[in-house]
Amino acid sequence: MLAIKDVMFSVPDADASVANARKTIIDPLSYTFEPGKFYAITGPNGSGKTTLAKLIMGIYEVTSGSIYLEGKDITSMGITERARAGIAYSFQHPARFKGTTFRDLLSIAAGTEEEESLAKIVARVGICSLDFLDKPVDAKLSGGEIKKVELATTIARNPKVAIYDEPDTGIDLWTIDPMVQLLKKEQDTYGTTTIVVSHNRVFLAAADTLLLIKGGRIAYEGDLEGASVLLTDLSVCGYGDVCEGESDVRCYR
Amino acid sequence: MLDAIDKELLKAVADLEGIPKGAYNIRKNGELLGREVSANITIEANEAGNGIVVRIQPGTVNESVHIPVIVSQAGLHDVVYNRFIIGASSDVTIVAGCGIHCGSSQSQGHEGIHEFRVEKGARVRYVEKHVALGEGKGKRALNPTTQVFLAEDAYAEMELSQLGGVDEADRTNTAELSAGSSLLITERVMTDDVETAISRNEIVLAGEDSKANLISRSVIRGESRQDFYATIDARARCFGHIECDAILMGNGSNETVPSLKARHPEAELTHEASIGKIADEQLVKLMSLGLTYDEAVNRIIQGFLK
Repeated sequence: MLAIKDVMFSVPDADASVANARKTIIDPLSYTFEPGKFYAITGPNGSGKTTLAKLIMGIYEVTSGSIYLEGKDITSMGITERARAGIAYSFQHPARFKGTTFRDLLSIAAGTEEEESLAKIVARVGICSLDFLDKPVDAKLSGGEIKKVELATTIARNPKVAIYDEPDTGIDLWTIDPMVQLLKKEQDTYGTTTIVVSHNRVFLAAADTLLLIKGGRIAYEGDLEGASVLLTDLSVCGYGDVCEGESDVRCYR
Repeated sequence: MLDAIDKELLKAVADLEGIPKGAYNIRKNGELLGREVSANITIEANEAGNGIVVRIQPGTVNESVHIPVIVSQAGLHDVVYNRFIIGASSDVTIVAGCGIHCGSSQSQGHEGIHEFRVEKGARVRYVEKHVALGEGKGKRALNPTTQVFLAEDAYAEMELSQLGGVDEADRTNTAELSAGSSLLITERVMTDDVETAISRNEIVLAGEDSKANLISRSVIRGESRQDFYATIDARARCFGHIECDAILMGNGSNETVPSLKARHPEAELTHEASIGKIADEQLVKLMSLGLTYDEAVNRIIQGFLK
């Protein structure tokens, strides 16, 4: 069980006319993610989806409020401790490294360099081949390839809670369904609490529960059908690339 | 014949546990410690008596030459002029390197001038490691010069590394490429404390369809300084690329100056250069896989210099 209690997150507001003004990204938000369930988080650009995910992983520190994993308060834990406690994170824009291979990352994630163990993980993920292992995770990898690397390293952690931030970015259309199947299979086989931040209907439909975040709050919780009226309003936006950055989150529409 | 310090240095610079197999020439404190030649590879003192000439017969394949230098005598500054003549259509590996063991407060150093004549269609892989060890406070200096002449369709791959302990290094690499020849240079340098390292590179693409790729990876720790200068001078239809990345840690500094000169309308030259700290997103990624901050830094540096 992953519980978020009264979590608030604000950043200095550069646009404000008043000095020291702050902008609230996550309004006090409380939610409990049940173990072994599949959640999809969606919402307009700049609504706080990725921020919420990063607060859970410890990449951002909460301004106030608490986060609990299996009843234990993990609010003060850093990224490393949270990773070791069983939370894994798949980045929307994964880091690229000069000289570090997929094998290196997978070995770190799995905690072993054994060929057989790595091969098993690659087979379990199923969306990349074994000869992919020795490819450097650098700028030469395509957007889709690096997302597969990201997915594999997340699954290799055997996490209790797996967070996927827009896992389908750069993935070709015919790989998205197998990807959803993979996450469902992980959920079923290992009881992984799965949280997917996505705009993609396929993920939203696959989820046990859909959370719609708007203005840093949960605007809707339920299934896809119930959310459809709200979602229609958010359906088309071509500004995703400019507004969903790390530091300058805003809506340009 | 080899004492413990010699063995440690040989292991560090040439991955050798003892005397190598095949042709070799080991120089210790300015003198010959051991030499072996093979049917296809000869090693002789040069006329001036201040270096060696290594001749590889045309057509020699899958052979290697080890020519490590070790300097463990206090106050010694060793200077050598070595020539390598790599016969046509041969394919060989040359492992060089210099290890300094400094046990005193006197400065020690080595200046190796290596000239490579790679004849038509020959392929050579040259691996050079520079290491300085020892508790002594004397300055350790290494100033290598590498001159490469590639004949038509020749290929040379040069892996040059200096991974610690050298106080002052001033390296010069020059190369001249004939038609159809290719050169790949990968240089990896790590400095710490107040060490300084300069690398100067001048590559002339003289022949049609010649290719050069120069990759430099620098890790600058402590208060150290590394400067990297590289020029590719294109005089024919050719391809040249410079890629230089420097990671700054601590208060180190770096100057990187890639320079491309196209003197032919069909020259194709590119460069990418970056200087900066380790990217946060890389650290966060590795920490999200369970590594601590320090472990993440080490893994990133290891990979970068691999």
